Amino acid sequence: MSDDLAPVARRLHPATLIARWLKSAPQMAAGAIGLSAAARDKGMGALVLLALVVLVAAAVFAGIYWWRFRYTIGAGEIVIEQGLLRRQRRVIPFDRVQDIAIEQKLLARLFGTAAVRIETGGAAKDEGTLDMIALADAEALRDRVRHGARAASEAAEAPTEEPVLFAMDLPRLVLSGLFGFSLVFFAVITGALQQLDQYGLVNWSAWFTVERADRATELFTARAVIGLAGLILALGLVAGVVRSVTRDFGFRLTRTKAGLRRRRGMFTLTEVVIPIRRAQVALIESGPIARMLGWYRLSFQTLGADRKEGGVQVAAPFARMDEILPILAEAGFPAPPPRAEMHGVPRRALVRQAAPALALAAVAAVAGLMVEPWVGLGALALLAAALIGVMRWRKHAHALGERALYVAGGFLKRRIWIVPYEKTQTLRVSRGPVQRALRLSNLLLDTAGSGALVSPEMHDLDEDEAEAMAERLLALFQAARKRIRAGA
Amino acid sequence: MTEHGQVETGAERRELTPLDPRQVAVLRIRTGLVAAVLAAIALILEIPARELGLPDFAVAGAAIALGLAATLLVPRRRYRRWGYSEGAEELQIRRGMLFRVRTIVPFGRVQHIDVAQGPIQRPYGLATLILHTAGTHGAAVSLPGLAMADAEAMRDRIRGKIREDIG
Repeated sequence: MSDDLAPVARRLHPATLIARWLKSAPQMAAGAIGLSAAARDKGMGALVLLALVVLVAAAVFAGIYWWRFRYTIGAGEIVIEQGLLRRQRRVIPFDRVQDIAIEQKLLARLFGTAAVRIETGGAAKDEGTLDMIALADAEALRDRVRHGARAASEAAEAPTEEPVLFAMDLPRLVLSGLFGFSLVFFAVITGALQQLDQYGLVNWSAWFTVERADRATELFTARAVIGLAGLILALGLVAGVVRSVTRDFGFRLTRTKAGLRRRRGMFTLTEVVIPIRRAQVALIESGPIARMLGWYRLSFQTLGADRKEGGVQVAAPFARMDEILPILAEAGFPAPPPRAEMHGVPRRALVRQAAPALALAAVAAVAGLMVEPWVGLGALALLAAALIGVMRWRKHAHALGERALYVAGGFLKRRIWIVPYEKTQTLRVSRGPVQRALRLSNLLLDTAGSGALVSPEMHDLDEDEAEAMAERLLALFQAARKRIRAGA
Repeated sequence: MTEHGQVETGAERRELTPLDPRQVAVLRIRTGLVAAVLAAIALILEIPARELGLPDFAVAGAAIALGLAATLLVPRRRYRRWGYSEGAEELQIRRGMLFRVRTIVPFGRVQHIDVAQGPIQRPYGLATLILHTAGTHGAAVSLPGLAMADAEAMRDRIRGKIREDIG
């Protein structure tokens, strides 16, 4: 680590050259193969020449990037200069920095380097990225931005051990992978085949002939189908395990001064700090089988510019409830009450949740008996839909705690949201025509950074109760804000 | 369901301020324009309708009748469903005929405020007040049909309260 009392303009780690070259070469090569397929008659020599040109061009681009990229760490700011034709100088003051993420890809780990992503909390484009610098420099930069220059040198002398809140060992990782059953490899295989076909390396239309198709159908015996299903199942399980082991390898969640630090990854090692101040909502979720065995997943919805993660950061991917509760406590979120102590939805909401499907099912059943037998199958599907409606109705519940609103819901995958009152942005009571006839209303406590698809909206509350609860939530929000302002 | 009735339920009954009466005219022009476009499409559809053996002007006539009825009847009802109340620390808005929505925006959560005026609003001197929050579902809450002066006064009042809240 260099002593940087006087700000010096620095370049990225030289390994950046190799990393950028390796990263861009395959993309360019793919393009070149596409080109050469168009000019295939030119022969092998032209192909080799083209490949060489591409590789050299990639190296030149990597070199220019490295040569033009400089960063200076000043007393209170970081300055990044880059670009050959369109030159750009970006100044990021330390006190504007919301978060610094350190990421180590496989190649970076070989060289002992890391990519540093500086988030300013503005639009996603306003970030600064140092890809790559030495790992030690990256960590020093992070500490410096977090605690100021003086604290950074102290931290370098005596590295304080951060308390570990949650970690995953290999057996746990494998187990979590079994629940992460994934058929993603199907997409990968078909994608690869399409790619090969596109470049004319494999000619499928010549491969699939009528005779071959006939022979193939002979092969589809009952035993073969069962075997194939077993194979797909096994592959899905293996893919799930591989995915979760590589993603969550060495998972460690530690407590830092300002938030929760998460490190994970086998090939790509990532480190993210979830600032507690920016955590809006906590979400505990669990699939049907995992829940039976007592496994849950905890994530926080954060207010961040990171659109890639959708504002949701996993804090514990696969954990027992008694492991999750201490993490919640550290993050300042209260523990949810048991389902028995939460308030359900009025019985008449079933009219909306299940009755339409049930009525259609009855019609379809009659039609099945009278006209077309296969319409009866539709009745079964509708019956299942009605049952799901009933299940949803049974599981949907809410409770107003001392510091937060709790909302439970979901059919197969169950979720519990913990929404601290002070995170309220707006409140919305809404009802459609059917709900109005039943005197029911939805109530949404809107928060920042929430996903549009899954939100802690309460459905089909009693109309009067929803209106009164909106007033109550508003009062609780204002009381919480006053308490925070008085404390701060 | 009656026109009045169980809108303002809830533990704390608040008096709602109606929008500026001129908003009815704005809504009527807007509905009328939509109806005119649909009538024009219906007129074009007359040609294939005639080939199907439908009587002359059956499609266009129905569309025009419906459009006229909607233009005459709907705007006043929609106008009556709108209302707001400006509290000490929050703004509440109720709206909607079929889908009724009540939105509460605490002033402490307002990021910035717009006063917008559309081309139909302009001759009537009306404006729309838009409160922007950091929320996801209700990121922009708008209140149309305020007299320009009222909208600006309201904006300044709310802005003052945001400052208090920060300071």
